[in-house]
Amino acid sequence: MFQFFKNSKKLLGMNSRNLEFIRPYNLRGAKRLADDKLLSKKILRKNEIAIPRLIAKIKTIEDLENFDWQSLPTSFALKPSRGFGGEGIVVVYGKKKNRNDAWIKADRSIVTIDDLRNHIRNILDGSFSLSNTPDVAFFEERLQLLKLFKPYCYKGIPDIRIIVFNKVPIMAMLRLPTKESHGKANLQQGAVGVGIDMATGVTTTAIQGKSSFIEKIPDTELSVSGLKIPYWKDMLTLAVKTQKISKLGFLGVDVAIDKNLGPVILELNARPGLSIQVANLAGLAERLKRVSGLKIQTIAKGVRMGMDLFGGEIEEELEEISGKKVIGTIEKVRLMGKNGKEIEVEAKIDTGAFSTSIDTKIALELGFEDVLKYFSSLDLPKNFSREESKKIEEDLKRKYLEKHPDLADIIIIYSSSGVSVRPKIKISFILDGITITSKVNVIDRSELNYSAIIGKQDLRKFLIDVNK
Amino acid sequence: METTISPIIKFFILQGVPMETIILILMLPLIATFIAFLRQVVGIKAFGIYTPLIITFAFLATNGLRYGIAIFLVILFLGMLMRFMLKPFRLLYLPRVAIMLTVVALFILLFLFFGGVIQRTGLASVSIFPIVIMITLVEKFVSVQIEKGDRTALILAFETLIISIIGFYIASWGTLRTMLLSYPWLILLTIPINIIIGKWTGLRISEYIRFRNILKKL
Repeated sequence: MFQFFKNSKKLLGMNSRNLEFIRPYNLRGAKRLADDKLLSKKILRKNEIAIPRLIAKIKTIEDLENFDWQSLPTSFALKPSRGFGGEGIVVVYGKKKNRNDAWIKADRSIVTIDDLRNHIRNILDGSFSLSNTPDVAFFEERLQLLKLFKPYCYKGIPDIRIIVFNKVPIMAMLRLPTKESHGKANLQQGAVGVGIDMATGVTTTAIQGKSSFIEKIPDTELSVSGLKIPYWKDMLTLAVKTQKISKLGFLGVDVAIDKNLGPVILELNARPGLSIQVANLAGLAERLKRVSGLKIQTIAKGVRMGMDLFGGEIEEELEEISGKKVIGTIEKVRLMGKNGKEIEVEAKIDTGAFSTSIDTKIALELGFEDVLKYFSSLDLPKNFSREESKKIEEDLKRKYLEKHPDLADIIIIYSSSGVSVRPKIKISFILDGITITSKVNVIDRSELNYSAIIGKQDLRKFLIDVNK
Repeated sequence: METTISPIIKFFILQGVPMETIILILMLPLIATFIAFLRQVVGIKAFGIYTPLIITFAFLATNGLRYGIAIFLVILFLGMLMRFMLKPFRLLYLPRVAIMLTVVALFILLFLFFGGVIQRTGLASVSIFPIVIMITLVEKFVSVQIEKGDRTALILAFETLIISIIGFYIASWGTLRTMLLSYPWLILLTIPINIIIGKWTGLRISEYIRFRNILKKL
């Protein structure tokens, strides 16, 4: 019980959201921008943020009377500018065959020009806007569903809500339209909300509606977790950029991914909902606290901050199950040489190489001068065929190993730059907290990007995540 | 009891202000504070602060709670029914609400007539103001129905009803009434109370329920 109340401090409630975040960080002018979709579209476009293209807007009844319906493309979305909760949106997928005045909706029902006209009249009248104030209707291009999401969605298109505070993306949720939500990505109407690991963009836990946990996507056998969302870092960058432009300190950005355009901003939300906490099994209050007051200079810095601070759940889980550490393709490695000499270098994790290799210069710095001098003084064979190499290698080993205490092995390596005979030395290095003792070969890598590569023989205790 | 009435109230009564009016006006800030508390600390939304407040007073003015509740429920039922029936006509918002008001008004008239027929004079003699107030509930109900759907509208209407019933009992509570007459300045206490409620940033009780599953797992 005590734990229960202690945990409640980590969660963001309505009162705190309104009083401590919306009030001080979202000023009225900025809020108006978020509430007016046409205005936010205009500002975002001016700042070169990708948005769905505007086709036409209808401001008055006269606009409606004079509207050229044939100018509409075969598919589009009709929206109220100040609608909320996804109300009042009509999406059509194609024209009805042999008819000029009708389109088809996602559920195969037909919408005629008369239907649209009536709907627009309702929009103008304010039926879908906050407190029924008169509104503007607009047509925009229909976004196309990414193939990856197809099995996860019932009609409609999913979107990704990203909460940004103080230039740091702090929490995100993928919203999937379901049968229950009538193809709308709206949690209140029964859509699925899936939590996302901030570091990797991989989905974790999910809820349907406002609070019931689910393991599988409704009506499918698909697990809610483990889906990797494409363009993850791009989307976070887009979200932070959008926050900067909008001047909303505490912002919910809705991003969708179009098959052709990639990530686009759908809308801004100055009063983001709290269910995202349930979908992620994490508290916003706690995360907001960690980020507030930080001085974030650049957008890239903010994005990295969010990924570092609020990611890693997936990784930890994986490490727990496999007993292996997850590393990226480039990692910092601390090499330990003779007489307590240590050097830290950035190394490439290279599963294409068998053994680990370091630059001659580093080997020198680590105190292996003597053995390298000895090795270069040897008369090494050149210009031999691949068939002969095995035999030559064995000959060399027999001849020279144990002639010098530091010469651990000799190896002939074929690489993209040709064949080379290399000495191996025995050193220890620390990679992601794990100490590995290994025989590494030494070669001149001054022309290459990384002064060390870690090969397969030393990667047994690791899993490699190429996105890291 | 007479002796404990505060001098200022005595002065008002002497000037011809009805005592019931004084009590109701003094009750207003108390009930408003109560509704604010329910919203911020408990998490009961209802239809804002105005609607439950005014329905409370409508209940107080109808002769007995049960007629008030009966009228309230009839209005909700008609609101649901009419939305369903008017759907195929696809009307604009205000004309649609106007039609609903017409139908509700006619039904209430029938209701009162029916009350007279079965000798429920209490019903027939309900004064016009509470009835008009309750009819305007339709508009609130319909707008929520459009914005948030039937389910939410019904939940909010139900919450409004509960708050108004509790408000009714608070306002008819004898001890409180005599206390207000003796110490009318007590209502000034609602200001500091509301300042505290207005700065309350903790989770609402409803949020403890909403987040109960994740509170265990955090």
